[in-house]
Amino acid sequence: MNIIKRHYLFGGGRLGYAAPLLLLAPGVFLYLLIAVGPSLATFAFSFTDATGIGGVPVNFIGLENYAEFLFRGLRSRDNLEAVWRTVAFSVFVTSIQFFLGLILALILNQALKGRTFFRTLYFMPVILGVAIQGLMWKLFLLPRGGPVAQVLGAFGAKSEFLGGPPLEAFAWVIVVQIWANVGITMVIFLAGMQAIRADLYDAAKVDGANGWQLFKHVTWPQLTPAINTNFLLNIVGSLQAWALFLVLIGYRPGTQVLGYLVYAEGFGRTSGAVTTAFRQGFAAAASIVLFLLVLVAALVANYIVIRRERRYME
Amino acid sequence: MNVRTTLQRPPLAASAPSASRQALRTKIVSYLILGVFAIVYIGPLLMLVNTALKSLAEFYRDPIALPSSLMLDNFFEAWELANFPGYLMNSVFYVVAATGIFVLTSLFVAFPIARGYFKGSNVLLTLYLIALFLPAALIPQFQLILHLGLYNTQPGYILLFLVNPIGMIILVNYMKSIPRELDESAAMDGCSYPRFVFSIILPLIKPAVATVTVLHAIGVWNELILPTIYLTKDDFYPITRGLIVFAGVYGSNWPALAAAVLMLAIPMLVLYIILQRHIVSGLTSGSVKG
Repeated sequence: MNIIKRHYLFGGGRLGYAAPLLLLAPGVFLYLLIAVGPSLATFAFSFTDATGIGGVPVNFIGLENYAEFLFRGLRSRDNLEAVWRTVAFSVFVTSIQFFLGLILALILNQALKGRTFFRTLYFMPVILGVAIQGLMWKLFLLPRGGPVAQVLGAFGAKSEFLGGPPLEAFAWVIVVQIWANVGITMVIFLAGMQAIRADLYDAAKVDGANGWQLFKHVTWPQLTPAINTNFLLNIVGSLQAWALFLVLIGYRPGTQVLGYLVYAEGFGRTSGAVTTAFRQGFAAAASIVLFLLVLVAALVANYIVIRRERRYME
Repeated sequence: MNVRTTLQRPPLAASAPSASRQALRTKIVSYLILGVFAIVYIGPLLMLVNTALKSLAEFYRDPIALPSSLMLDNFFEAWELANFPGYLMNSVFYVVAATGIFVLTSLFVAFPIARGYFKGSNVLLTLYLIALFLPAALIPQFQLILHLGLYNTQPGYILLFLVNPIGMIILVNYMKSIPRELDESAAMDGCSYPRFVFSIILPLIKPAVATVTVLHAIGVWNELILPTIYLTKDDFYPITRGLIVFAGVYGSNWPALAAAVLMLAIPMLVLYIILQRHIVSGLTSGSVKG
């Protein structure tokens, strides 16, 4: 490496040799200050009783937060339930979103009239953001006389939707989460499909392959990069997602996922209330639990991805 | 590829007419599925428009009936009840400031990394790559802002958005495609480093900058959690927070709320249709949190 020579490239400027490094510094400093530093400091905070209220002393309490999370009767039962709910949320969202995104991409990859319109439509929620997504669905799922209620009513069914039993409210959040993000999955698949060489299909067609065989032997193996991206992004994204819970149902017992639990413990259960006891040390411990969950999921996903790649390489 | 060898020959009976019937059937099924999904995507939007054009009384009588007359009062009501012009100004300010500073500082981080201009540039790149999997920075970040005295201030809020690892990675990857010879000839001509990055590299990486700008701007614009944590003063609320607070207060007045939601959704939808290509590529590369 001829570092000296490369620096010398821009030695003519007034800033001298150091120009690239000097100008690199602000961005890296910000990254370390706002992202990496706080992220790593989460470990340290998880061993304290920090409150987040200025002037209150912070004490080291060892593993107490983790012990409370895992082994303290009723409270930890709620916490552990939140962990399982997070896993369930992620499994449902990842698998359904992956499957629907693939189906939509396969359909829209054909030469159909109006495909641009449909693609634009399905991607639309992504740009609207959680606040608008959530409020739109609250209205759409109005229990008394709303559109979905009327459709259900026609079949003699009735539901309180987001105000119903926890499990039902939870299921509706899954629906909205998928509705909001399936467009991303679809577009990534579409980009992958458009990169597949047409002559592979031609060759297979000459051999008389039918639609399913074309998909199995050409599309699916050739789509590997898009499959990997979607798989990983969906898993990690859905484990960490919780903003729709905030908008759609608020912090209701029996519905919250880990991300929401971190927020509620750290910053109060009702938004904007400044007086509730903030338990930021405990919240930090809960974020470490979430981190471990994401880590395990990412490693498993990575293992599956590598195994799949190896199978198609042979 | 061993497609040729693994596929079976079709039965000889497969003839032209049945193939075209097959194609027709595929087409019908395709449109059927697209149509069902279209209903699920247009439905909530239609319901929003329908509600926004009704009086409260009409809405309570039958939420899904069409409005008897086109009523725009809800829009004026929503506009007056909440400080929406103020919220909008705040959102625009946050987006412009945060995106501007982020893109500017990132250019100068991404370029040396892409070139491997310094020792440890690979380590730095890895640090950006693993950001997605690091623990949430939420709690220590709050403590940091609190101790810097920036809690409930606009600069403090903007500070939170000056970082975007995915945006950085997009820039680095794109810059790698710019030939190195450019560096050398520019340096030979006595071009200074900042001028080189601005006047030679920047025009060449415009598509990546557009993608990153859109990705970052939409992220800041749509952020809901951070203003809930960091901004308690109504004067500082961005539009998302303003909307949710409005929903909390006027939640039962759906016509006014729907009008408010619509007023914020329409500019986004228009921008989306105009800038679709950049927006889709930006959000897809940044599709991590939802």
